[in-house]
Amino acid sequence: MNRRNTLLAILAVVLAAGLLIIPNRGEKKEIKPEQLLTAINDQARFLSTDAITERIIGGDPTLQLIDVRPAKQFNTYALPNAVNIPLDSILSPSWTQLLHQPGKDKVFYSNGDIEADAAWQVCTRNGVSKVFVMKGGLNHWYNTIIKGIEPSNTASGNDLDLYSFRQSARQYFTGSAEQGADQPAQAESTQKPARVKVERKPVEKSSGGGC
Amino acid sequence: MVAPLIPMGVIPESWNNVFAVILGFGFGFALESAGFSSSRKIIGTFFGYDFVVLKVFFTAAITAMIGLLYLSYIGWLDYSLLYIHPTFLASAIIGGIVMGIGFSMGGYCPGTSFCGMAIGKIDAMIFMVGMVIGVFIFSEAFPLFEKLYNSGNLGGKLVSDSLGVSKSLFAFLLTVVAIGMFYGATWVEKKVRKVEY
Repeated sequence: MNRRNTLLAILAVVLAAGLLIIPNRGEKKEIKPEQLLTAINDQARFLSTDAITERIIGGDPTLQLIDVRPAKQFNTYALPNAVNIPLDSILSPSWTQLLHQPGKDKVFYSNGDIEADAAWQVCTRNGVSKVFVMKGGLNHWYNTIIKGIEPSNTASGNDLDLYSFRQSARQYFTGSAEQGADQPAQAESTQKPARVKVERKPVEKSSGGGC
Repeated sequence: MVAPLIPMGVIPESWNNVFAVILGFGFGFALESAGFSSSRKIIGTFFGYDFVVLKVFFTAAITAMIGLLYLSYIGWLDYSLLYIHPTFLASAIIGGIVMGIGFSMGGYCPGTSFCGMAIGKIDAMIFMVGMVIGVFIFSEAFPLFEKLYNSGNLGGKLVSDSLGVSKSLFAFLLTVVAIGMFYGATWVEKKVRKVEY
C-alpha cells in the first residue's frame, strides 16, 4: 500500500477507536414520564368505531390498522387491511419500519380496550407518533356496526343518521343490511353459482308445413 | 429511501423517486470510476490478481458505519428510523450461493452489468439478457419458491446484537479486520501473476 492509503487506513482505525470512547446515545428516543402522563390523560387517542369504519370504507390511505390480538384470533377474523402485531412482539425490530411510517395513523385494536391501550402506551413511550386506539375494540365494533340497535321512533336526527350509516356499513362488511348478519360479503362470491336448468325445446318431428 | 430526512418530514415523500435517480447516477458514476464496468477487474477477486472489489465495498461499508454512528452521536440521525432489511436466513444462503456462481461465471453483479452496458460492453449486455431471463423464470415459478423465499425470517437483525456486543465495538473490530484484509489482499496481489486487461 502506498503512503496515502496507509494514512487513510490509520484515520479509519482512529475514527473507529473514537467510537469506543464516546457514550452510546440517540438509539432510543423515549419520551419523558411527564409527557407520557399527559398523553395518557388525553382521550384524543381513542377513535370511535364509526370513525374507523368510515375510513375503512373510504379506503383512507393514511389509516394503518394494527391488530394486537394473538395470531390465531387474527386469522379467525380481522378488520380489512389490518396488520397483526401481537402485543408481545410490538417491540420487535421487524415492526419498527411499519410503526414509524410517516403520514400514517397507526390504530391499535384488540377485542376490548386493554391490550390495544397497552400497545399504545408502549409505542408512545418508545417515541412512535400518530398512534391511536379503536375505542371498545372489536367487540364494540361488532355490537355497533354489525349487530346494531335500531333507534326508537323518538330518537334524534343524529341518531337516525348514525343508524343509517351503520346499516350501510353493515352492508359493506357483510353484504347484508340485516342486523347480526356476520357472513362477510366475500363469502357470497365463493358460493357455487345457482345452476340454470335448461329446458330444451323438443325437436319437431315434422316441419309442420310451410314452404 | 433517503432516511431519515423523508421519514422525519424534512423532505416531502414525493421526492423519493427524484433522489433515487440522483443517487442512481452517483452510484453508477462511483462504480464506473472504480473500474467496476470491467468484468475482468471484478473477476480478479476470484482469481486473486485484483482485489479492488473487496477494497471498494469494505471501504464503503466501514465509512458508512463509522459515519452513521458519529451522526447518531451528535444527534443528526435517529438510528431507530433507519430501515434494516429483514434477514431471511435460508433464502439468503441459497440466494448467496446462486448469486456467487452467477457473479463468478459472468463477471458482473446486477449493478455493475448496467455500468458495463452503459459504456457498450457486449459481455455486460449478454449478462443482462441472462439476468432478465432469470428474473422471468423466477417470477413465473415463484409459487414453487415462495415457501423457501419467506423462510427463516429473523427480522431486522444486526450482527452486533447477534454477537451481544455494542455497535461501537463491532464497528471498531470490523474496521481493524477490513484494514487487515486490505493489506492481506495487496500482499496476495503482489504474489499472483499480473493479468493485463
